[in-house]
Amino acid sequence: MSTTGTLEYTPKDYKSDLKPIWCPGCGDFSVVQGIYRALAAIGRPPHEIAFVSGIGCSSRIPGYTTAYGFNSVHGRALPIAQGIKLANPDLLVLAAGGDGDGFSIGGGHIAHLIRRNMDITYIVMDNQIYGLTKGQLSPTSQKGRVTCTSRFGSLENPVNPLLYVLAYGAGFVAQASPTDLAGMAAVIEEAIRYPGFAFVNIQSPCVTYGEEGQQIKGLKAISESLAGLGHNPADRLAAMDLAQHYGEKMHLGVFYRNPEPPPTYGDLVKERQALLSKDALPKERILDLFIKK
Amino acid sequence: MAIRGIDFTTLSLKDALDLAILVEEEAQERYEEFAAQMDQHRTPDAAKFFRYMVENEAKHGRELSSRRVQLFGDAPRSVSRTMIYDIEAPDYDAARAFMSPRRAMEAALASEVKAHGFFEAALPAIKDAEVHALFAELRDEEVLHQNLVKGELAKLPPDSAVSDEDFVDEPAPQ
Repeated sequence: MSTTGTLEYTPKDYKSDLKPIWCPGCGDFSVVQGIYRALAAIGRPPHEIAFVSGIGCSSRIPGYTTAYGFNSVHGRALPIAQGIKLANPDLLVLAAGGDGDGFSIGGGHIAHLIRRNMDITYIVMDNQIYGLTKGQLSPTSQKGRVTCTSRFGSLENPVNPLLYVLAYGAGFVAQASPTDLAGMAAVIEEAIRYPGFAFVNIQSPCVTYGEEGQQIKGLKAISESLAGLGHNPADRLAAMDLAQHYGEKMHLGVFYRNPEPPPTYGDLVKERQALLSKDALPKERILDLFIKK
Repeated sequence: MAIRGIDFTTLSLKDALDLAILVEEEAQERYEEFAAQMDQHRTPDAAKFFRYMVENEAKHGRELSSRRVQLFGDAPRSVSRTMIYDIEAPDYDAARAFMSPRRAMEAALASEVKAHGFFEAALPAIKDAEVHALFAELRDEEVLHQNLVKGELAKLPPDSAVSDEDFVDEPAPQ
């Protein structure tokens, strides 16, 4: 950390002493670098950041940062992150996990954080496989995919994470990939700055169980910058149209940013508290509520 | 390999030197990461080679930094790491669990070839004579670096018939 009048942070300030134990070549190595860069650009001290994850390879990520971290329960990163944000609204709260964590066991939580517009940034490292448990079919695995739990090819259509969150009304939706670390850092930074629920899908290849087309080379071949396409991120329907290409094309950048973000749940709670505070009992009389008169 | 926001036609010598330093820094950091990954996966020979590359990149970075200081003192940088990605640094997916020293060296060699390609491709767009000379010098140095790695490769005994991929689990019925 360098001090020049005001505190300035470098990516290294967010890097913990814990060494990642992901498989060498894993896309998550670059994701954590992107997060360090984004946090340095935001400039909040590590003790003002809470980073919550579920279970899986990618969910190890909070431990590799100097922020407060909670490697929680499978699929439950979002409710826990929500609780933290409500208890301490001043914290910058990040949640992260894999596609299985987010769109299978934890899939039900996303809708509720979106409808409440919780001011949380949710980063999904989408590798289209359950890697930690040795290569089972995940919710974003392509149809026909052969894994140890789909020996003759998957019969299921994959979940489209981008359409999923756009359809629920997320105010910020973006996609990034390790094929462009600087772009990934910029997108994460923008997501954190968005006042409300922000979702970043990162197509992060699994080098051990991922298919060849899903490795860096394959992803590069199908990647296309949304800015390069002239996409207007304020246009939600255009975003949904582009999001339909998930799995065939990898569009990178911001799909949708609500130009008029609604109040966050935290703002509304504060407002309600202010409204009710005049009738509230003082702390020393709180037991009166439980005493029969 | 990617760049953003760099216009080679108007690149100044200061910015060109700063970019070259950033390229070395990025490569140095990536090799440091790879060395740590190899340590984690008990692959000391590949880790040792990646640390050797860390030293090489750091040395080259120091030389460039000293030239930059001589010419431009501590004038602030107007280029940043956000403008470059994977110029001389090996791709993240070049690392593999239990990789042999040969495979580690091949990854480094590919990166030196990639860096050579970057400087070579930029040259025709450069208008400034000093910047052109610097990029031509950097391009030629990449050939020297390639030869350095090739020299290390030549010292290696043949690889075992068992590939490092054989140590990695394949999907299997549970």
